[in-house]
Amino acid sequence: MLSDPRLQQALVALAQPIAEFRAIIDDAISQADAFITAQHASAPQRAEHAAVSLGHFADGRIDAAGFAARFPPVAAASPSAIAALEQALRVFRDVRERGDDIFVVDVPPGRRLGVELDHALATIGSVFGAVVLAEVVRGGRYTPEHARLLQSREFRSWNKTERRFAPPLVVLVNGADLQSGAIMDFVDGREKIVLVVCGASPPAPLARCITPGTFVLQTVDGSGLDRMAAFNGPAVAAIVPTGAAVFMHDPLGGKDPWQRMTINFIPVTPKKSIGGQSIWQMSEDLQVIAELAATPFSIPALGNGSAAPAAGAADAAEKIAAWLVGQAGLQDGAA
Amino acid sequence: MPTMTSMKSVGTAAPAAPKELSLHEHTLEIVSDAGEGAQKCGQVFGAVSAKMGNGVWTVEIIPAEIQPPARVPEGASGFRIRIGDGPITNWGDATNLVVAFNEQVLLARHRVDALANDAVLLVEDRWATHDDPEIRTAWEHGMDELSGKDYRIIPVPMEELCLTLVDDPKKGKNMFVLGMLACIYARDVSRIQEQIAQTFRKKSVEVYERNVALMQLGWDWADEHIDFRIHVPVQVIDRELVVMNGNEALGLGAIASGMELCAMYPITPATSVSHYLSEVFEKFGGMVHQAEDEIAAVGVAIGASYAGKVAFTITSGPGLALKTEFLGLAVMTETPLVLVNVQRGGPSTGLPTKVEQSDLLAALFASPGDAPHVVMAPATIEECFHVMITARRIAEAFRTVVMVLSDTNLATGVTPFPRPKPDARWQAEPLDLSPVPEGQKPYAWDPETGLSRRVIPGRPGGMFTLTGLSHDEGSKVAYSSGIHQKSSAMRSRKLAVLSSLLEPPTPYGEEKGDLLIVGWGSTKGAIEEAVDRARADGMKVSALHLRFLSPLEPGLKTIFKRFKKVITVEINYSDEIGDPHITEENRRRGQLAMLLRAATLVDVDCWTRVPGEPLRPGAILGAIRGRMPRRGAQ
Amino acid sequence: MTMSCGLPILDHDNDEREYEISDYEGARARWCPGCGDHSILASVQKLLTNEQLVPEQTVFVSGIGCSSRFPHYLKTYGFHGIHGRALPVATGIRLHRPDLTVFVVMGDGDCTSIGAGHWIHALRYNLDIVVMLLDNGIYGLTKNQTSPTTPQGFPTNTQPHGSLLPPLNPLQVALGVTNASFVAQTAEWAPAHLYATLRAAYRHHGLSFVRILQRCPIYASAVYQKAVSDPARIALLVHDDGVVVPDLNKIYTTQLLHDPHDIDAARRLADDADHTNLGVFFLDPSRPCYEETRRVQPRTVNERLALIDAELDRYAV
Repeated sequence: MLSDPRLQQALVALAQPIAEFRAIIDDAISQADAFITAQHASAPQRAEHAAVSLGHFADGRIDAAGFAARFPPVAAASPSAIAALEQALRVFRDVRERGDDIFVVDVPPGRRLGVELDHALATIGSVFGAVVLAEVVRGGRYTPEHARLLQSREFRSWNKTERRFAPPLVVLVNGADLQSGAIMDFVDGREKIVLVVCGASPPAPLARCITPGTFVLQTVDGSGLDRMAAFNGPAVAAIVPTGAAVFMHDPLGGKDPWQRMTINFIPVTPKKSIGGQSIWQMSEDLQVIAELAATPFSIPALGNGSAAPAAGAADAAEKIAAWLVGQAGLQDGAA
Repeated sequence: MPTMTSMKSVGTAAPAAPKELSLHEHTLEIVSDAGEGAQKCGQVFGAVSAKMGNGVWTVEIIPAEIQPPARVPEGASGFRIRIGDGPITNWGDATNLVVAFNEQVLLARHRVDALANDAVLLVEDRWATHDDPEIRTAWEHGMDELSGKDYRIIPVPMEELCLTLVDDPKKGKNMFVLGMLACIYARDVSRIQEQIAQTFRKKSVEVYERNVALMQLGWDWADEHIDFRIHVPVQVIDRELVVMNGNEALGLGAIASGMELCAMYPITPATSVSHYLSEVFEKFGGMVHQAEDEIAAVGVAIGASYAGKVAFTITSGPGLALKTEFLGLAVMTETPLVLVNVQRGGPSTGLPTKVEQSDLLAALFASPGDAPHVVMAPATIEECFHVMITARRIAEAFRTVVMVLSDTNLATGVTPFPRPKPDARWQAEPLDLSPVPEGQKPYAWDPETGLSRRVIPGRPGGMFTLTGLSHDEGSKVAYSSGIHQKSSAMRSRKLAVLSSLLEPPTPYGEEKGDLLIVGWGSTKGAIEEAVDRARADGMKVSALHLRFLSPLEPGLKTIFKRFKKVITVEINYSDEIGDPHITEENRRRGQLAMLLRAATLVDVDCWTRVPGEPLRPGAILGAIRGRMPRRGAQ
Repeated sequence: MTMSCGLPILDHDNDEREYEISDYEGARARWCPGCGDHSILASVQKLLTNEQLVPEQTVFVSGIGCSSRFPHYLKTYGFHGIHGRALPVATGIRLHRPDLTVFVVMGDGDCTSIGAGHWIHALRYNLDIVVMLLDNGIYGLTKNQTSPTTPQGFPTNTQPHGSLLPPLNPLQVALGVTNASFVAQTAEWAPAHLYATLRAAYRHHGLSFVRILQRCPIYASAVYQKAVSDPARIALLVHDDGVVVPDLNKIYTTQLLHDPHDIDAARRLADDADHTNLGVFFLDPSRPCYEETRRVQPRTVNERLALIDAELDRYAV
């Protein structure tokens, strides 16, 4: 599955967030390196460093040794702090050496998607811990308790900022194992997840991921991935096999669902279940995207008994949710 | 009287072996109406000469208007190339050979005294026999005017011959001229073809082949009709070279120094830096922000710098005037900032496309109030690259403003220089977002040096408000005179510390003598060439070139005392003794001269000119002769 | 994000920390007693607390004037710059540090007079920042001169026979700028409305321009006197996507249902001669933000070195 050309396509589309995450690691490496080097540097080494950093315009014009003496390195750190920083460096280097691998999750057939995602993000989470550790050491605040920061950290324990800087993931997964509920736990901050769906796929596996603030894309040829990568918020995309639904839900499209939804293709409901998905479920998923995309003129009145969104409700999410509940009720009634 | 060689006589009586002139250096020009391709032709000639191992300095001749009418002197557009058997450091003296596409653009060069008295002029001859009688008359009048000099005029049937290959000679003459010059100067044809291929790489093979054929046509014509050849020996190139203009060098230097933002507003002649950066900067993770005005441009740079990125802004004189309030704020808040000023002629709109060094004092004292900051001036195109690395480093280390003074001469001059070897340590370090140590203040001035470490937003525990109001170490607004006295001292002290780290400069020539010429900025090449010539004539002259104007390089007074006389040579205005009303007392001197007199109490004289063009070494040599102290005088 | 900006950390010791109002309090405010700025400061502190903005990741940028002392009175990062030029500084900060939340505080002289050029272009750039215009219709710090928003006929030290020209309407200006994405008006004497408007501005994606009517008790107490003393002169613009403050229903009985996506209606309401309209006049979160338009892939030091070498190849002889 790793040779799937769609994997490369997804990585290319996510080049920007991948580069941003790498830049965090590289900055951390160069700062930690510089800090450790400065701790051990002799006066001539520091003069040499100053001379180079001042550039050739300063050659013969600025006294580099004097310059180095005027700008001494930051405060000395204890041996235990340096050791901790070196450990953090190992975490950075390890992640860096794994190249694109850390952004790719290959879900073996039959395994649970949520568990695999959790595992992948927990490993990456150790980078954030290492960054914090490095900052603490450089800020002169290190205590042995900080060592716990290097333990892997589950996504649910990431703070708001970390979630905003979460790296993107490309997930190779069999259509049969695709549980959209498992993805929803990870779609937060600016997280970007691209699913490369192999084998038979339900027609609209991401239908249930659509919320007003989430970018959701199903594509066959990769079109739309660029917009997804540029979206400044949570986003999930699936590169699905031909025959599945093709649609885009772009939160910047407008305030109403139909303004945000673009549907290029809706297939008929498959005749048999796929993985754990029943025909009824798949049919309902297709119904959901079709109805979200319907223009106001054809949106049916809210179902009997379901409450209209409270006037003055500030949160659009609640309105959509209320409307969806209404729709679901209608379906029940019809069934 | 000029020698007017008629086409026919050349055609029939060309000598079997043309006369070969071997020269150390030589200057040629190609001039045309705008859009006829003289510049492209000159660029290829210059590039090929550099690749062959000649020293090269090229300058564009730019008309004042974008689309001037055809056949008017004001429309002269072209390219000036000086080549030599060693490094060429300046644009030289008068031009030795000109190729002109019409007599009007040639007259433009004649009238500004650009041409040597014995220059060879190769002129398109179709105007002499043009259908329009007015044009024929203009040609005749032109020839009359040129006859005042000893020029040798050679008519060339450019258009007539080009029409044998192309329908529109406008799109081919320049290649014909290139071939002609390649023959006269024995340029390497395969390299020329390479350059043509490069130039037309986005066009079809036919276009390339047509241009090569035109070039060959020019070569063949010259081979048959021109009775002289010019030989400027080449040197083996033993190290890697790059060739670019000073503005490209500034842009590339900014990238090499790790800067990530160039905030600017369009202004000549600084803008081409941003043209270059706009093309490539994003590839490097940086960007050019074209702000709504000059003031916003510097404000955005200060904002980015306050937020932890070192940014620069680039402008020319009128823009500097607008930026001065923000400059004071950067000094007051000790926010690092690099401000590049590519000087042009002033005051006011002045001479937008011409060189001048008249912003020195404005640069030093740019902000009202006492706003000490660093001013540096690159002297060569190569230094335009390297100065940006030093400027960024100093701006950050000293938490101050560094102003870099370039000028039009450097901005538009093109010359090869040793290829820089970029080093990771040139680049800015990543943002330091570590927690701020307990009790640290936003201006933790070292009482001895005034130096402090800056705190950038995002660092826990450092939530300070920086202000342009006078403040104490804690950024608390000062309501007592003692605080203002102290903070002023702290800001000023930083310059003294930098000054203490500067090495005294070394004179070019000898350590002592009769006359010392002091210069700054782009005049270095011309001054040193003039000094070389004067020394060859036995005069005891040396030159001293300053890169740091604020703080001034140390030891100047000691150096000055070893010479009987010290003068500055600058491209700015000064009064001359002997002019009406001008006395020793009321004379306004060159800007560097004023500065040096104040700083050293030495009676520094000056020779300055504002010709709207770079100083010629020959003119400086004349000044040296005129200012040499009499023997025995002290 | 434009480029590598490090990881804004993240004091994990404070990870689960709940910030209280006192965490945002800076120096004691030195505005005159009765100055409307006090109320605005209180609302801003409430916003910071309720939204749990991390103090070290929040920056207040100001120009010069009474209102521009604002950053000093908060315990966030602050940059108190020069007259009229807060917006360029804020642009530079936000462009390079998208991890920071940026607020801009300006007075009417700052924003609509000396810095008017920056104001128009900042609206056009539409960076994701909150811009507050504290409009008291007078120059206070320099002691009572006419500002562009001084009512016609109102005497000052520079126009003692009354302000000569009709006042500039900042809302009309803002609504006329291409790519403006959020334009609102509120008043410091209606703190509930002020807070709700600031919250909507903070939550908007793009530049939120909020004109806050603010009383200067020393030089221009008359400017908003009628609107303050007679609630009937004020109309609240209400809409689910704008600001709805049920607490104010009893005081401000004139309420207009205004869809803030309707730019034409917004322009008409901005020019209402009968009422002072408070609320969100216009918003469009889909308008492009400059920091996103300019987002550049960050480069590491070594990548940059390789690229510089490649660039030098282009110039190699």
